[in-house]
Amino acid sequence: MIWVGWRQQRAEAAIVAAMLAGLAVVLLPTGLNVASAFDAGHLASCTGARPSQSCQQAVDQFLVRFNGLGGLIAWLTLLPGLVGTVLAAPLLVSLEQGTQRLDWTQSITRRRWLVTKLGLAAAAAVVAAGVLVLLVTWWRMPFVRLQGRMDNSVFDSEGTVVLGYTLFALGLCTLVGVLWRRAVPALMVGFAGYFAVRILFDTVVRQHLLSPLQATWRADGPAPASAQHAWVLRQFPSDRLGHLAPFDISCAHGPAIATNCPSKPVGGYMHAVYHPASHFWPLQGIETAIFGGVGLAMLAFAAWWVHERVS
Amino acid sequence: MSAISTQGLGKRYGSKWALRDCTIEVPEGSVTALVGPNGAGKTTLLQLAVGLTRPSAGDVTVLGLSPRDPALLARVGFVGQEHPLHRGFTVAETLKLGRKLNPGWDDALAHERVQRLDLPLDRTVGRLSGGQRAQVALTVAVAKRPELLLLDEPVASLDPLARREFLNSLMEAVSETGLTVILSSHIVAELERVCDHLVILAEARAELAGPIDEIVAGHRLLTGPRTEATAVARMHDVIRERHTERQTTLLVRANGHVYDADWELHEVDLEEIVLAYLGYGASRPLAEAVAR
Amino acid sequence: MIEFHLETRSGVPTYLQIVQQVRQAVRLGVLRPGDQLPTVKDVVGTLTVNPNTVLKAYRDLDREGLVEGRRGVGTFVAEDVAPLPPGDVQDLRSGLEGWIARARGAGLDDDTMAALFMDTLRPPAIRSVA
Repeated sequence: MIWVGWRQQRAEAAIVAAMLAGLAVVLLPTGLNVASAFDAGHLASCTGARPSQSCQQAVDQFLVRFNGLGGLIAWLTLLPGLVGTVLAAPLLVSLEQGTQRLDWTQSITRRRWLVTKLGLAAAAAVVAAGVLVLLVTWWRMPFVRLQGRMDNSVFDSEGTVVLGYTLFALGLCTLVGVLWRRAVPALMVGFAGYFAVRILFDTVVRQHLLSPLQATWRADGPAPASAQHAWVLRQFPSDRLGHLAPFDISCAHGPAIATNCPSKPVGGYMHAVYHPASHFWPLQGIETAIFGGVGLAMLAFAAWWVHERVS
Repeated sequence: MSAISTQGLGKRYGSKWALRDCTIEVPEGSVTALVGPNGAGKTTLLQLAVGLTRPSAGDVTVLGLSPRDPALLARVGFVGQEHPLHRGFTVAETLKLGRKLNPGWDDALAHERVQRLDLPLDRTVGRLSGGQRAQVALTVAVAKRPELLLLDEPVASLDPLARREFLNSLMEAVSETGLTVILSSHIVAELERVCDHLVILAEARAELAGPIDEIVAGHRLLTGPRTEATAVARMHDVIRERHTERQTTLLVRANGHVYDADWELHEVDLEEIVLAYLGYGASRPLAEAVAR
Repeated sequence: MIEFHLETRSGVPTYLQIVQQVRQAVRLGVLRPGDQLPTVKDVVGTLTVNPNTVLKAYRDLDREGLVEGRRGVGTFVAEDVAPLPPGDVQDLRSGLEGWIARARGAGLDDDTMAALFMDTLRPPAIRSVA
């Protein structure tokens, strides 16, 4: 059955391999470029909390130079979804064409068929996610050293969440396809669903997975060490106790406009709500468990449905 | 022993019964034709027998076991409607699938058949003709060495030559391996030479079941001057009555000898008997059009 | 080796057609004692018929004493069957030719002649009572 299961998803596995190879072809030369620019500018010594003036300049130069590329890389977060969708296709196409009537009337049980096919798809998803994470993490290393990896568009292509996303997309597309029984529309709906859930999670849910830290510091002094490379949720001028300082928007352009603007900002402190860099792995773990767990649960339900309800 | 035995078997999809109150026996070693128009329940009956779906009522035993019994998997072969095959696989890969999924697979038989039928091993199934695909599907089912083979409309989409070749192939397999065969069809014409048993399904019910030579011997066509069927109906089952202005024709299943001075008796061929059970040609209004 | 043919619309069951063809072939000397009949598999291959049908025909012929099955080898015409003497066959043939000539002279066409012959041949129980 393993040969049969593999042969039935050979084309889709090749597509995924081609996608990853294409990605490598793009990332490898540019990544080497970025890495050598990083070394040439001696930027390794500029990753501390208080960079020198010359460091600041060099870093700014570096970031401006590769800004565009970094933006593009952010779109790679769709790839796990694409991989999961493609790997869900073999089972759905099988059911749409009715070839399960051939496979199930040989000498194996439905259970073995389902476990093997879904197991192979999940295994392929794990491998693909691994390759994807390694590639992107390697490419982005210089930027991470300069800016950390807590930013929303960076967080979701590093670490274990990529695996969670891939399994989620695989599970969602499989479940939709098994219930709807029309492969192509189901895959499209599944991918769209993945996209929607990801956006929702990124923008609304992720920040609440753990309690963020809060800190108040003097506006003319250094920010706390834990705030370096952190994911800042909110930051505002405040008083010593961290309460929001009143800020009159009409004073933004100086006292010349309004007569009752204060001569210097009220409060004198800054307050921030943030997830420090140390929250990286805990957040990764929770998000991976959520996406991966839901994905696997959907796969299991789809398997049950096919076992009981499909003829 | 019966190859298949059903008792009040029924299957419902939503509120519609696809098969109802079906009680039949198919003897081992026979080649049984399962005939009826589209929608009569033939596919449902076969799918219930092979365990692809579960009954809503009654039960079915296959070779003495429940259809979903794992011990039965290797003993029953099935070719579904439209001969499901993986279109992207080559013929050789399709046989490999059979080998990998069946412990009882006879690879020599499979390759010998493929060679004898001139099926190209390296061509993908999607690029074969309809007749060739049917033969590949049959090869996979037969090389599994089942005791019972179920075929759902195996020749429906084939041209006459391909049809003849398929049935020929099937008969050779029966003579080589002694299998029991059930094949469903809505074409009656060629079944008489190939089958020795018959089950007629119409509107989700089994109308008739039994050995073909007994069925043919037990039915008669009565023709005579225009009259009502009541007298005859007291002694025999009137299956179909047809009246013109001056003549009445009755097709009856005889209970005992038919001896009546008022009627001219004729033998009836199988196709005519089947059509009568399916309601074709009667003067009474028909419940449903029949696909010939 | 004899090759069978099948008339699907004749109303005669398949196995009986095979039996009749073997009988006729033996009587007319087409099959001689010791000749092998086609194997079940061969007949199935030529006629596309149920193998049980062929087996039934050969069993009936075996019971009649016309053929004998040799296990593992095949079915053969029995040694002790005597075909009709060719002279007798020729006599019967001439007799028929004479009758046909008379029937034609009376105005019967071929189909009516055949119907008259079959009608006379058939058992009376299924003849019309009119």
